[in-house]
Amino acid sequence: MAEMVCRECHRILKGQTCPVCGSGNLSSDWSGMVIIIDPKRSEIAKKIGIETPDRYALKVR
Amino acid sequence: MASEDEESAIFVVKTTANQERSVAVMLTQIAKKDRLDIRSILAPDELKGYILIESPRASIVEQAIQTVPHARSIVKGQSSLDEIMHFLTPKPTVTGITEGAIIEITSGPFKGEKARVKRVDEGHEEITVELFDAVVPIPITIRGDTVRVLKKEEQS
Repeated sequence: MAEMVCRECHRILKGQTCPVCGSGNLSSDWSGMVIIIDPKRSEIAKKIGIETPDRYALKVR
Repeated sequence: MASEDEESAIFVVKTTANQERSVAVMLTQIAKKDRLDIRSILAPDELKGYILIESPRASIVEQAIQTVPHARSIVKGQSSLDEIMHFLTPKPTVTGITEGAIIEITSGPFKGEKARVKRVDEGHEEITVELFDAVVPIPITIRGDTVRVLKKEEQS
């Protein structure tokens, strides 16, 4: 099954709803992936305002 | 950890084409398992065959990629965050397409057809065009990334 992305928080996930924000507003049309492992020390995470480690899409349509 | 306060740098790792995401996912697992100081991994679609790794030292990245299939080598030198900022904020695909421009459709049922842009929807990244070869002018809406601009806005 194609991986989906939550349009609200940009998380890449597998189910039908986002487990974090509970939203069902998902999209399969996304591009670019960023994996945040250590949000406290990651400059990239700070720049894009991510506080929890996870996989995120850079762009969601 | 020795690298607790070390500043992040961006290292580029060469991968097999189309395996960028799988390499990124595997590197994440290894970084977690071996407690390596890799802070984030970036796999932008624009960068084919490479991924970007945020870590304080090249030796950490070198160690992490050793056992990962499809991860080939680390590119010499390092980048700064400023140099990769444009990957974090992708431009809408309709940027550069203006109303009145002449475009060619590059995929879908109208592939190869030339058309004039009637409307640009930046939010949905769609454009509405009218085909030149159509007998009756019917507006069709297509995705902004499936066109190539032939001629910018034409005054008529």
